[in-house]
Amino acid sequence: MAGALTGGDPAAASEARPVPAVVRTALYAAGVLARRILLLAVLLAAVFAAVELLPGDAANATSERGESAADLAARRHLLGLDRPVAERFGDWMTGLPTGDLGTSARGEPVADLLAHPFPNTLLLGGLALLVTLVASVALGCWAAARPGGSADRAVSASATGSLALPEFVVAVALVLVFALWTDWLPAVTLTDADGSPASWRMLVLPVLALAVPQIGWNTRIVRAALADEAKAPHVETAVLDGLPRHRILTHHLLPGALPTIAAGLATSTGMLLGGAVVVETIFNYPGIGSVLAGAVADRDSPVIAGVVAVTGTVITGVLLLADLVRAWASGGRT
Amino acid sequence: MTTLTAPAKAPTRTPPRHARLRVALRVLPAVLLTALALAGPWLAPHALDAPVVAPYAEPGGEAPLGGDQLGRDVLSRVLAGGRELVVTSLLVAVLVTAVAAVLGAVSALRPALGRIVERTADVLMLLPAVLGILLVTLSWPDGGRLAVVTASVVLGVPYAVRLVAGAAAPVAASGYVEAAAVGGEKLGYLVVREVLPNLRATLLALFGLRFVAAVYLVATAGFLQVGPQPPAADWALMIRENSAGIVLNPWAVLAPSVAIGLLALSVNLAAAALVPSTGRKAVPAL
Repeated sequence: MAGALTGGDPAAASEARPVPAVVRTALYAAGVLARRILLLAVLLAAVFAAVELLPGDAANATSERGESAADLAARRHLLGLDRPVAERFGDWMTGLPTGDLGTSARGEPVADLLAHPFPNTLLLGGLALLVTLVASVALGCWAAARPGGSADRAVSASATGSLALPEFVVAVALVLVFALWTDWLPAVTLTDADGSPASWRMLVLPVLALAVPQIGWNTRIVRAALADEAKAPHVETAVLDGLPRHRILTHHLLPGALPTIAAGLATSTGMLLGGAVVVETIFNYPGIGSVLAGAVADRDSPVIAGVVAVTGTVITGVLLLADLVRAWASGGRT
Repeated sequence: MTTLTAPAKAPTRTPPRHARLRVALRVLPAVLLTALALAGPWLAPHALDAPVVAPYAEPGGEAPLGGDQLGRDVLSRVLAGGRELVVTSLLVAVLVTAVAAVLGAVSALRPALGRIVERTADVLMLLPAVLGILLVTLSWPDGGRLAVVTASVVLGVPYAVRLVAGAAAPVAASGYVEAAAVGGEKLGYLVVREVLPNLRATLLALFGLRFVAAVYLVATAGFLQVGPQPPAADWALMIRENSAGIVLNPWAVLAPSVAIGLLALSVNLAAAALVPSTGRKAVPAL
């Protein structure tokens, strides 16, 4: 799922000469890091190419009615769109590591547009990831405790059901139940002077709307990983030794299932950040969703490219974490 | 190395009758709902674009589910609003499955291509599908539905190829395919005549999963207003348009939400029933 472990195979390294575990892990981490950064660079190149090759450019998109061809050409020059593609590509790619994400169709730096909303989106996505982690591990363990029992079947069925629901459908249901009919939680997000949500209660519904589909997805992963792990010999031994059920779960099943769970959560990160765009427009949350909604109206593809660059970096970071969890889990065993 | 005895047939064990019936029962809701969505526009009692009642009118009389933001009949628009979603999603699912079937079989036979596909999937993992679809539709303003379909197919194929290649690898390594390859058969023949016929169960399941994913993506694109444009009747668009009046007539938002929710659930139920129960692949790759 998170790619083959080509960076530095710990097993092969240990055969040659006893290398200290710390060095081995560091080498492995460096290899994985290099590979992830390369993949991110390829994605960004592909994003630039997509914006470039598809018909329509930023100057066209923001043109007003009755604007002459000369005006259009002038703005194209202003935005630097008349320079050679290779030159602009070089500028965009070399600007990225310094935090320069290019210029929007309206001439503002994309990095400035995202500076305030993106931390808010990260907060929303991070909380949703946390809720997903806790809920899916709890539900997965509960279902795995008695395989084939009624709890197992109920959890599996509802997990299968919820993983396919679009976030905006979940959000509508939550708004109807918790905001309109019971009036427990606010349905819109009001912002403070500094542009962040005014109260934690305004975060509850957006976080839930984002997390519900991902809880469905990850509960199935946790449940399947635990089932795989339960077949391992050391678990059977522990069962035969008569260890209590919860001890087997925490000391024998979960540690082995950890890399799979981490990889599942890592894949959820992309879904969470994508879903955040949708959920934010519903709850009027001050994140990148509102920036993107404006960009959709303006057909402002440089902004989208910038958002993709930033989210791609975040996802790369999370995938790296999952890689390291796997290295750590397997390093302890070999 | 190659043994010509016992061509390794794919596991086409015929399930007992009640098991097959159970699969049919779980596929049925999706088939019915899809048929209803396709036939919906003919069942609509009122015109889609003309006001029938007051804006956000409560249910009753002329309009059993009330009116939307322009006073148009919600029931008629809900009946009509699913066809484009279902047709577009089906188109995406068929295209992704077909392309992935060929590419997956080829990459099982030619590992070099398999590695390229693998890397592409690794790269696309860094791109949330919703952002990918926005990127393509905005960079291609005149693309319309074609842009949504193209983006959904491009974003879906690498994962689907992975799934097919995984299922095709044991078939490609089996004696009779190697024998055919040594016998000088061309790649196209191997793919179409030798490998793919053995992957029917996998491809059917893949189609179901891609349909689930396509419903999600196409509906989300509609919600973000890069898909169907007003005044078209579309479930996702209806939710977006009418959410301002959710207090006055909740049905204008609730009815299309329930429709999308039921479609997603039933299609997912069907896809889960189609996944071959052999092997330890408990979690399908969405």
